[in-house]
Amino acid sequence: MSTEREPDVSPLPKDLGVKVGMLLALTLVVAAAFVLYVLFARGVFEQTQRVTLIADNAEGVRVGMDLTFSGFPIGRVRRITLREDGKVGIDIRVPLSEARWLRTTSIFTLELPLVGGARIRAYTSNLKDPPLEHLAERPVLRGDTAEEIPRMVASLRAVLANLDQITDTGSNLQESIKNARTVSERMAGRYGVLAGMLGGEEHARKVIASIDRANALLASLGGISLKLDSVLSKTDQRVFGQGGVVDETQKAATQANAILGQVRESLKQVDAILANAQEASENAKAASGNVRAAATDLAALRAEVEASLRKVAQLIDEINRKWPFERDTRIKLP
Amino acid sequence: MAFAGGFIFRLRSWRRLLRFAGFATVAALSPSTYGPATRAVAVRQIYFTAWQILPWYILFAALFSLVLIEIVATAARRYGLALHALELILRVLVLELIPLLTALFVALRSGAAIGTEVALMRVSGELQEMQAAGASPLHRELVPRITAAAISVASLTTLSCAIALVLAYVGLYGFSPWAFDQYTRVVGQVFGAAALAGLALKCLLFGLAVALIPIATGLEAERGRFKSAPLAVLGGLVKLFFVIGLIEILSLAVKYV
Repeated sequence: MSTEREPDVSPLPKDLGVKVGMLLALTLVVAAAFVLYVLFARGVFEQTQRVTLIADNAEGVRVGMDLTFSGFPIGRVRRITLREDGKVGIDIRVPLSEARWLRTTSIFTLELPLVGGARIRAYTSNLKDPPLEHLAERPVLRGDTAEEIPRMVASLRAVLANLDQITDTGSNLQESIKNARTVSERMAGRYGVLAGMLGGEEHARKVIASIDRANALLASLGGISLKLDSVLSKTDQRVFGQGGVVDETQKAATQANAILGQVRESLKQVDAILANAQEASENAKAASGNVRAAATDLAALRAEVEASLRKVAQLIDEINRKWPFERDTRIKLP
Repeated sequence: MAFAGGFIFRLRSWRRLLRFAGFATVAALSPSTYGPATRAVAVRQIYFTAWQILPWYILFAALFSLVLIEIVATAARRYGLALHALELILRVLVLELIPLLTALFVALRSGAAIGTEVALMRVSGELQEMQAAGASPLHRELVPRITAAAISVASLTTLSCAIALVLAYVGLYGFSPWAFDQYTRVVGQVFGAAALAGLALKCLLFGLAVALIPIATGLEAERGRFKSAPLAVLGGLVKLFFVIGLIEILSLAVKYV
């Protein structure tokens, strides 16, 4: 270097080499640490398990995207291949520490939201199922928001048209609502639910008046039935009670029976007397020839007794006919 | 030597630049270039380019990162994209803006100085004398500077990116340690092998451009003509900015198009 050159503006420090060495060392350490950190972040130091998801369409899927479970990233897409059968194989590496979330019954979905990248999600309903084996192949269910929107808009339009029709003036719904309002207004009125059901206060008033009248009628009927009750009880007393009609009749019948018994006894005695008399007359006929006239008188007497007996029998018959309560209907006649 | 000051984009100048870049790269990659004297030049250059500006540059990068992180986080939250805020910050700030900013900063701070120094050496005839004495000015003076500038750019970029990564975590999640898993996952997604290699390559290209272009254009200054020096330096700076922009655009195109 020539001496013609002007000296440096700032003087050089003595420990120049040390300072520069420190700077370079610091840079190297930082760079190495960063590279190690990135390798760690990319899961280079972790053992992984492979899962291949089979999709119809790889749109939106890119290498490095996450497989999430319950919102937590548990794996990363390593490779996307177009397979021989025209389907897409999405090769995912899941660290062994996270592989326990994937079971044989797990379901995988690929969603394409409107904003943001595609998402691959895993759902496991039962964590006690056997774990997903290494190199497993699973279909992935695809949900595309952009594809869904036209379909959704079409069906929404139909729904809106229906809604329009329903809410149109004069539509059934409006009529129903109008009716409902009328009914509820009536219900809120003086006669409440009754007016709502019958369709007006006038009808309700009539119904209430009828009920009132029926009540009055029932009250008077109650009075009548009370009176009838007392009449019946009196009748009962008079007819069947102690000293009532039946009682008296029974007594009379018993007495008549007794009388008739006595009559029968008397007649028997008369019969015996007559028989004795006949016997005596026949004896007398033998004794005296003038007794024939007396015998003729006796026959007349006998006819008279028979006539009175017949009358008694008639009387008993008549009593029995007129009073059917007589228990002992038999009348013993000689 | 043709005076290229007025015609910055002249094809001949670019061809000369490319030829010089080829020679310099070969020389920089051969270990025989680095003797004790060369190493001293390189160390001195790193001291000027990186060490001297380190505190201020780190402070500037931290402030810039903080503001940008805050803007992105707020906007993402407002649009319901908070999930993607970290990825956006990492991609925009760490992968693109900080390397570009570092390259521009070093180009302003050291590229201009190196270009001027070389142009003055050329005007004073120092380089020609050296060549006449049998020593290679390319190996003794220029290549160490180029290597040192490249190392400086890489060093500053690494440190400020690390600061930005820490600030991104703090800016988005606060001082809570529980977001570390989420943060790590996004970092793992963003910094794939290709992204890391791309970042390293971009840093290297920026570093080379920052020293190579001013030196190559500084060599266009003519001996004894002091007025040719400013023009050579100016042409070098314009070319440098152009190339830095080109590298950035190419890297973006490769990554996203």
